[in-house]
Amino acid sequence: MPKTEMPSGALVLLILRVLRSGTLHGYAIAQRIHTLSSEVLQVEEGALYPALQKILLKGWVTSEWGISETNRKVRFYRLTPAGRKQLENELSDYERAHSAIRSVLRTA
Amino acid sequence: MNEWIRRLQYLLHRRRFDQELRNDLEFHREMAAKDGGKPLGNMLLLREEARDAWGWTWMEQLSQDLRYAARQLRRSPGFTLAAIVMLALGIGVNVAAFGFFNLMVLRPLAVRSPDTLLRFKRRAPQSYASQIPYPEMTFFRQYSKTLSAVLAVMDAKLAIEGEPKPLTGDFVTANFFSELGAKPMLGRVLDAAEDGAADSTPVVVLSEGFWQRHFGADPGIAGKTIRLNDRPAVVIGVASQAFSGLSMDNPDLWLPIDQQPYFVTGSHLFTDFSVEAHGITMFGRLQTGLRAGTAENELRSLAAVLHQQHPADIWEKESLPSSAGGYAKNLGGGRHGTGTEQSDEGYPLMALVASLTLLILAVACGNLGSLLLARGVAREREMAIRKAVGAGSGRLIRQLFTESVLLALHGAIAGLALGYVVLRGMMVMAKTPAWLNPVPDWRMVLFAIGIGFAAAIMFGLTPALQVARQRHGATRMRQVLIGAQIAASCVLVIVSALLVRALEHAVTTNPGFEYQQVVSIDPGLAAHGYSASGARTYLNTLQSRLHDLPGVESVSMTSSTPLGNRKVVTGADIAGRSLDVHMYAIDPEFFGTMKIPLLEGRNLTRSDTRAVVISKSFAQQWPERDPLGRPFQMGDASYTIVGIAGSARLVALQDPDAVEAYYLAGDADLPSMVVLLRTAGPPEGLVPFVASVAKSIDPKVFPDVQLVKSSFSRRMEGAEYAAISVSVLGFVALLLACLGIVGLVAYSVSHRTKEIGIRMALGASSAQVLSVVVRQLALPILAGSLAGVTGAAALSQLLRRELYGISYLDPIAYLGAIGVFVAMIGVAALLPARRALRVDPLRSLRYE
Repeated sequence: MPKTEMPSGALVLLILRVLRSGTLHGYAIAQRIHTLSSEVLQVEEGALYPALQKILLKGWVTSEWGISETNRKVRFYRLTPAGRKQLENELSDYERAHSAIRSVLRTA
Repeated sequence: MNEWIRRLQYLLHRRRFDQELRNDLEFHREMAAKDGGKPLGNMLLLREEARDAWGWTWMEQLSQDLRYAARQLRRSPGFTLAAIVMLALGIGVNVAAFGFFNLMVLRPLAVRSPDTLLRFKRRAPQSYASQIPYPEMTFFRQYSKTLSAVLAVMDAKLAIEGEPKPLTGDFVTANFFSELGAKPMLGRVLDAAEDGAADSTPVVVLSEGFWQRHFGADPGIAGKTIRLNDRPAVVIGVASQAFSGLSMDNPDLWLPIDQQPYFVTGSHLFTDFSVEAHGITMFGRLQTGLRAGTAENELRSLAAVLHQQHPADIWEKESLPSSAGGYAKNLGGGRHGTGTEQSDEGYPLMALVASLTLLILAVACGNLGSLLLARGVAREREMAIRKAVGAGSGRLIRQLFTESVLLALHGAIAGLALGYVVLRGMMVMAKTPAWLNPVPDWRMVLFAIGIGFAAAIMFGLTPALQVARQRHGATRMRQVLIGAQIAASCVLVIVSALLVRALEHAVTTNPGFEYQQVVSIDPGLAAHGYSASGARTYLNTLQSRLHDLPGVESVSMTSSTPLGNRKVVTGADIAGRSLDVHMYAIDPEFFGTMKIPLLEGRNLTRSDTRAVVISKSFAQQWPERDPLGRPFQMGDASYTIVGIAGSARLVALQDPDAVEAYYLAGDADLPSMVVLLRTAGPPEGLVPFVASVAKSIDPKVFPDVQLVKSSFSRRMEGAEYAAISVSVLGFVALLLACLGIVGLVAYSVSHRTKEIGIRMALGASSAQVLSVVVRQLALPILAGSLAGVTGAAALSQLLRRELYGISYLDPIAYLGAIGVFVAMIGVAALLPARRALRVDPLRSLRYE
């Protein structure tokens, strides 16, 4: 199966979405997106960490120290209330655009 | 907002955050390796990219660049020093010029709440006056609700025993010191409660300078009695030098205006409404929260009420426009007249000074640009290496430009220091009041830094682009820079030549009258309340007694001392042009005494009450060549032109537009007349006799006796000073431009040694060899000089009124300047070019 590059802009949305169900460390975020997309979407580190820095700066997530499954000290990211609100906004924006595109595709 | 706080936290704790990021990435790599994914890319690069999101990358790069630039500059101290000196010169003259502008216009006076202080003048549709009659001021003081306080200042000359020259004293309202928040440095200052009445003890406050000069800084001066105009007065204290007061003329002492008639016997100050009388300068303190316009409206309606009571003296539709009283530039000005007040003459001159100093900066920048380009050639290897290891050209330009900014910053600091020294020196030479403090304030610092950045862009940006892009058009660029330097220095040299010519012209040619052997005696009768008949008796007695002195050739009188400060100007419309006519009330002997030739028509006679003699310059403004017999309207009265005298700019020496009209002094003029006498020999020896004769007529009058030639040399001092400073600027600019040319020629000689060798081997003559290295200068020199001459012609128009009658296109000045210019540039080009002739063809060819 060919790996598809992440469409730009969507990464932030996906990160926020996978964090909604709980705290995760960076690698797990990438993995979760990968598996949930049936291994279609591949999150490159070169995109993931800058995106995470940006989200941290915006205050949508916070980070805290935790212990990984390999017993290593690592940062876990947690969605903040502001992040949750941002996620809802972005989701509804996305839904609207998506259904608009769909309706064009169906009728045209 | 929160985002910025977080961003700042990233900056403050960037080591910790970077550590966390690194841990994230390391962990990611471990996990990826465990899962058998592909290895991570360059960790350092990844971290840098992620850190980019914090938004501080520019700062990290800036500090890197600065450190690198500092290292580079330290490595070539010769270049760095030369660059900083050049910049300091360019920035320093600008800082000095700005500093003066700052003191005059931008910085408020050191008085309490300068921004609510207003200065008022009088204006009506047809008239204006900068002074206000005392009783008009008291009327405003009594009825104004928009002004919380009204202050009046009136300058006066006072005699004191032991000083040959009269003192300058300011009569001020008793609230003057308290309203301006001035504390005494000794004793006390005037107090509204104690000194605000005509019958309180006569008192005086000394200035610090006068206290030191005349009283040897006597610490026990307070309480002592001194005699001013032969009247006893008690010294109550000394005001500090830092106190600016509200005038530019540095008074020796302050006295309560309520006691003015006590010191000036016979004064009608309190009751005299007329414009001709010596009025006061009026200041008002605006009630808190009000705007200046509100006060102006109120004073206008008050003036309308007063006009009903004094229809002859308070003008119809009189308004009282205000200016910011807390700033030095609004303190001066003493013109009266009809017509509209002339716009501020200071600004064109300031514009000229600013242009000249900016030209110096342009020359310095051009030079530095050339130096940077030359250095750039030497740094080609460094640039190539940096590019090879991955620096983008944007990054390289930024790096090079940072070097320029660092240089400019050092130049700005040095320039600030130099500017301060220059400004201080100029102010000491020009004897400005001590409270004008040239120590740089935040505005000057800001200006120096700002102009430093502007300079960095001017001299640093193009070379940075050229060098970073590895362009080899450096020579072309240097030609452009040389052209610009030549143009700028050409302007400066021509302007300085014009000023030198004007000075030489003023000193050597007759200004239309002879002043070497003239003494003026100003008895100031009006201030002592003399009536017309009293003044007539006094003046007649004085004139006949002076006539009897041996060595006196002729005696006459005038309303304005030649080369003195009193100007009476009337606006006249002649053939659609409005002219400033300088008016003189005279007697028939005046032309003989001043040796002004009568060219056409006749002199005034003792009974010519409606006749006027005009100057030739004025006659030329008339559409018909011969205005004799024509009427000339002056105020309400019509005069007939009976004679044309030679042009004599008696008070406006430097202004070619000044035209004159003379009429017979009438009764109203007599109290303000000045007596003139011409001596047969040198006038100096006669002065004490003249003074004692003048003093003997009325003991309460203190006549001011002056040599007109001393006033002339005082005026020349200013012109000399301007000519010297601009010449120094011009010379510095020319020197810088020449250095630039020397550099360019020397560079091309060393660069083209082989070509020169081949040419010589093929039998080229020395002239041909020289032309190889000098030819490239032809275009910049030609284009630069052309631009320079045009620029100078455009700029010196601003100077027209300061050139003592020579044209701003004076051919001698232009040709002289261009001669000096060409000679200097020729030497600068040929000196290094001679090295080309010494090239040994064999050696240069074998050199490869």
